[in-house]
Amino acid sequence: MTTSKKTKRLKKNDNLVGYGFMAPALIIFAVFLFIPIFFAIFVSFTDWNGISPFRQAGSYQFVGFENYYNLLIKQGIRQKDFYNSLKNTIYYALGVVPAQTFFALILAVIVNQKWLRRKGLFRTAFYFPSVSSSVVISLIFMWMFGKGGIVNISLSTLFPTYDPITWLNDSRGVFHQILALFGVTRATAGDWVNTRLATLTLWDWISGPSVTMLLIMILNTWTTIGSMMIIYLAALQDIPEQMREAASIDGATSLQIFRKITIPLLTPATFFVVTLGLISTFQVFDQIFVMTSGGPAKTTMTIAYGVYQNGFRNSDMGLAAASAFVLFVIIFIFTLIQRQFLKETLD
Amino acid sequence: MKKQRLITLMLSLLITLASTTFAQDTIKLTVAGWSSSPEEQAFLDEQLAAFTQATGIEVEFNASPDYATTQQTAFASGDYANVFYIDSSKLPDWVAAGVVADGTGKIENPDGIYPALLDVFTIDGTTYCPPKDYATMGLEYNKDLFDAAGIDYPTNDWTWDDLRAAAEALTDEEAGIIGLVTPPNLERFMPFMYQAGGALFGEDGNFVFNSDATRQALEFYIGFAQDGIGGPPSTVDAGWGGEAFASGRAAMAMEGNWMINFMLQNAPDINWGVTELPAGPAGKSTMAFSVCYGVAADNDYPEESWQLVNFLTGEEGAAYVGETTFGSAPARPSAEQIYIDTWIPRSEGTGFDAASVANFLNGAEYAKPWVLPVGFQSFVDTFNGALEQGFQGSVDAAYILDEASLVAEELLAE
Repeated sequence: MTTSKKTKRLKKNDNLVGYGFMAPALIIFAVFLFIPIFFAIFVSFTDWNGISPFRQAGSYQFVGFENYYNLLIKQGIRQKDFYNSLKNTIYYALGVVPAQTFFALILAVIVNQKWLRRKGLFRTAFYFPSVSSSVVISLIFMWMFGKGGIVNISLSTLFPTYDPITWLNDSRGVFHQILALFGVTRATAGDWVNTRLATLTLWDWISGPSVTMLLIMILNTWTTIGSMMIIYLAALQDIPEQMREAASIDGATSLQIFRKITIPLLTPATFFVVTLGLISTFQVFDQIFVMTSGGPAKTTMTIAYGVYQNGFRNSDMGLAAASAFVLFVIIFIFTLIQRQFLKETLD
Repeated sequence: MKKQRLITLMLSLLITLASTTFAQDTIKLTVAGWSSSPEEQAFLDEQLAAFTQATGIEVEFNASPDYATTQQTAFASGDYANVFYIDSSKLPDWVAAGVVADGTGKIENPDGIYPALLDVFTIDGTTYCPPKDYATMGLEYNKDLFDAAGIDYPTNDWTWDDLRAAAEALTDEEAGIIGLVTPPNLERFMPFMYQAGGALFGEDGNFVFNSDATRQALEFYIGFAQDGIGGPPSTVDAGWGGEAFASGRAAMAMEGNWMINFMLQNAPDINWGVTELPAGPAGKSTMAFSVCYGVAADNDYPEESWQLVNFLTGEEGAAYVGETTFGSAPARPSAEQIYIDTWIPRSEGTGFDAASVANFLNGAEYAKPWVLPVGFQSFVDTFNGALEQGFQGSVDAAYILDEASLVAEELLAE
């Protein structure tokens, strides 16, 4: 009896000490994370313009779910802008995440080869874009991809018939252009393309990323490959050598070993890489802020950039907070889906 | 007895000491704004120091690069500067948020300010703040390219037809030169709208943007890009119209007074001048871009704040702006000549025709303000986006106007 009481008391003390040690971190989390998050959710139910001093009486009113209603359901410019940015963001994520995962894996495997000499040099070179400031890289890309920039010059030297693309200011959808190669345009595609789904026509939905968005996708893939490669590299080095040796003794070719041994064993790393990729692509902001400000023709407008637009340029902080919260829910759902998906392959 | 005296003495000493420290507790005003260069900052600091010397009121100037965003967060926190810059396009939002003090009866000699500029900062009959300086849009032209094409320089009597004919003659596809740079921005298009007799709002306050006149102007404006004799800055690898002009790949541009300093610094060798914008079917028009000194609504020192604002924007202040300008012109006609004279020594040895500076000032007489109703940014964004599509030829003028008007009507209905 007495001993159990004593241990209980000791446990209680332990707990207190534990919380004591955690307190600094908890306070920092509370001040810089939890309070802002709850404040944002609170703001999303108000019509606060983001300018009037918040503590001043009458600076905001509760509007219930009106911001969410305007954003998601009520026909109008806010809904149109939101679904347009959702479309752009989805194309962006669907392009960047697989590309960066794929290339990161390839690079990691190459850098991990025993026969490769000067590994340090390659690792540094591949990782370098991730270390550089995204603003600086954006500026360099803007310079390279200008209409008379180095990319267009090289392309027109290689292909004399190449008609220079204005990379930074081309709102035409990539899928639309591919369809046009087969003679399918808005006029010839049939009436179904004018059906509206959430204010955008189906033709708009299938536009694909615009040329300018494609450029930003290339940029972002290039800059993130390095960090993803490091994660894969660590995971690759964790795979016991015996497994591969055993497989090769059993007569497996190196391709078979890669497909049947290496890739399955990398699944946890893949989950991590894809999750990180999804979260960061859904939140893409800085490259767009620097390079296009959402243009041309709103084709590089992403949800995260839309939050900034609504909050600071349209003076509608309530709507901005609501769209930020919707973005959070979307990322959460996507992460759950891909977790489920990878779990199956893991089992 | 002695002891008592000592105590009285000490007490009185203490009181005098305390009172002097209270008296020395000088008033300190904070001013928020931006500065585009250290030189510009130095001139403002000098002016503020002169104010402190004259009045004993201390002033602290805080410049921030992303001013509108910084200022918005300062407002939201409820702790903001006593005096702050207000861009004309931000005024309606900030007034609606209740952070700008009413300027009625506070502004010194308002009759000495260009009426068109005072109107910029007047909402529903209330003038909020006196303009600090202003810029109007003019037509800048590259004399070298005009000479090479063998055509006459633009004059203040030019019409749309002259502009178009010149752009055609100046375009040189092989050299990558376009006749006129047409930025995909509403504020650059608006002068054409007014020149054609269109408007955003009618006399009665109705939204009349979607009119035949505006459509005619828009067809004219996007015609430059569609016919390859002009286009947005990106067609010549530039970020904005001024950069396109400075690179020598756009023969004409429509920019404001800020072009002078930009060109002197970045392209001093180009020979260029400026005229008023050409007249359209309904006559002349241009846009005025202006910034004013607003006084905070929630303010510990309202009187002192107005004293400072009037010091900076009064007759003497305007003269100082004219002398130390980095582009923008003083808002009072009394300082006009000072402003013009300032540019002559500065542009010596460069290709700029300093005498033509006066053409920027001519615009102040008939310029329309760059001001939109609260929450109209979505309208601007939609218009600009559609305009870019128009440049590429995928949509026509009527479509652009329909798209933008739809948004505007929705915003106005709220």
